[in-house]
Amino acid sequence: MAAVLSNPIARRLLRIPPSYFVFIVLLATLWIARPNMLNLNIMGIFVRQIVPLGILVLGQLVVMRVKSIDLSGGGIILLINYFISSGSFPGASLPFFVVLALATGLAIGLFNGFMIGNRRVSAVIVTLAVSIILVGLVQFLSSGNPPGDVPKLFNDLYNTKFLSVPTPVLFWILLTAAVSFLLSQTVFGRYVASVGENAEAAHFSGVPVQRTVILAHTLAGLIAAIAALVQTGSIAVGSVRVGLDLPILAVAATILGGVVFGRGDGGVWGPFFGALCFALLFVVMTVLGIDEPGKLIAQGVIILGAAIFYGVRVRNP
Amino acid sequence: MHRSLFNILSGRNTRQGLWGLPLVVALLISVWLTVETTQFATAENLFNLIAQAMPLIIVAIGQLVVVLIGGLDLSVGSVISFTTAVLSLDQPAIVLIPAVFVLAAVIGLVNGLAITRFNVHPIIATLSTQYIVLGFTRILRPVSGGTVPDIVITAVSGSFLGIPFPAFWGVIVILAAWKLLYGSRYGLHLFAIGGGIASGTESAARNFGVSDRRNIILAYVVCSCFAAVAGVFLAGRIVSGDPNVGLLFELDTVTAVALGGTQLSGGVGSLHGTVIGALVMALLANGMNLANVSPFVQTAIKGGILLAVVGLQSRKKMGL
Repeated sequence: MAAVLSNPIARRLLRIPPSYFVFIVLLATLWIARPNMLNLNIMGIFVRQIVPLGILVLGQLVVMRVKSIDLSGGGIILLINYFISSGSFPGASLPFFVVLALATGLAIGLFNGFMIGNRRVSAVIVTLAVSIILVGLVQFLSSGNPPGDVPKLFNDLYNTKFLSVPTPVLFWILLTAAVSFLLSQTVFGRYVASVGENAEAAHFSGVPVQRTVILAHTLAGLIAAIAALVQTGSIAVGSVRVGLDLPILAVAATILGGVVFGRGDGGVWGPFFGALCFALLFVVMTVLGIDEPGKLIAQGVIILGAAIFYGVRVRNP
Repeated sequence: MHRSLFNILSGRNTRQGLWGLPLVVALLISVWLTVETTQFATAENLFNLIAQAMPLIIVAIGQLVVVLIGGLDLSVGSVISFTTAVLSLDQPAIVLIPAVFVLAAVIGLVNGLAITRFNVHPIIATLSTQYIVLGFTRILRPVSGGTVPDIVITAVSGSFLGIPFPAFWGVIVILAAWKLLYGSRYGLHLFAIGGGIASGTESAARNFGVSDRRNIILAYVVCSCFAAVAGVFLAGRIVSGDPNVGLLFELDTVTAVALGGTQLSGGVGSLHGTVIGALVMALLANGMNLANVSPFVQTAIKGGILLAVVGLQSRKKMGL
């Protein structure tokens, strides 16, 4: 095995994020199983469903680049969905909800960042705890029942198309490009890369490690809020279960996209394709008649497989 | 005497961590509940309390083993649900009971191998097995149902000389864990490996001839097997298989372990602290039930406690 791994061609291949291979395999599977499904309209609908996940992945990849993780996205999505659908703010307009959502995400992200960067608490524990606190609160406030309806404007916006491409998909691509710019062209992006490579070396080179980690988490919270707005637009009703499995899928898509704790080989587009893989995966599984338990197993196997793929590579540089 | 009491309460200069304080907290909650409610100090409620606390105590001890080596096992909740699902498969007990432990050991082995051989972060490895095992559980038992073998039900619901069986489970599990952690070479190695990992010199134990890889794999196997014991116990309590019974156990056990003064970075911790931590959690749950606190709020409060106890621990590493 070691001999294969030290082969230059194999090593070059291993640099490519697994998401590209998986994407091609899934596309081929779908092409063999259901060739008639591969048209722009149907694919547009499937990809549109995955947009909240795709946006959440953007936040996840930023925190994973600084060797952290954010599992609080589910709680943030649920809370914002509750704000919008519960009718607690009668007569509020769309801009009000957007500002409210962004402020909520910002505050929770900042709290995560403070606990992780300043208090040095394990990121998994902080963000999982924050998530269960938020979920518990929302379920208590709504007594376990779905709150109510979402203002119609959300769903109308979600259903619009621009040049026959669904607007949410376009929005996702633009946001991905923005994060790509942020990570590759700005000082913050450099800080993120250096903290992820070696936090100690970054510290001694004058990089504000703590501030970078806090900022990364704040950004992730903000991005989760955006994902929450899109998710709310997509389901168009209040729910006490919406988005709870998204953070773990986001971790899976990010690892699949070649971004593993501190290493950013996959850039931003690797995880982008990672999210697309899940869009295709769900289609393929539905086509093949695999239901909920099979999807859980597939998620787990994908995370473990991609992590092993990287683990093997790190050990044989 | 005075000096050692201070050391215990402050957790200073010990390998056991801060466990005196949670004991005080547990006593305070008990006193408060006795005074505030009439139902608390009844034999029936105390029996309930032991039975309620037992699964958490058992799994928390398993979690302690992996936390001592600086790891974390997020798959314990799924292993518990999986165990109850397997036990409800309508086969003879002689087949099922060994089967659940073999399966649990396999899950632990997968975790351990992924972490040591393939360099996967413990949290990621156990997070993925959590989902894989949950998936298999849902295949076996999409909703709760079935019946578990009679022997399992008798083993948790009977009593001997007026002492309910769950108390015996506790004594046996705690004694076994005591022997494992404090009376065996393996226990010593666990502390050695964990201490090295916590101080950032991962090769420390290896340099003294302690095989860290094999011991780490074994720690995850032990943890899974403890979760399976708790699964058998719970299956007996609920008399059927339930795919959701283990939900949130991974966080509750981490809370219990951290509450008992164990450092999540590894190397520092104690069995008695963990048992006390689990008891505090059970007392809180019992008190909140008696006070009619909504289960949703209880979840949120547990999350808050987790944040608080872990937030108070200091560690060098940032991030995961």
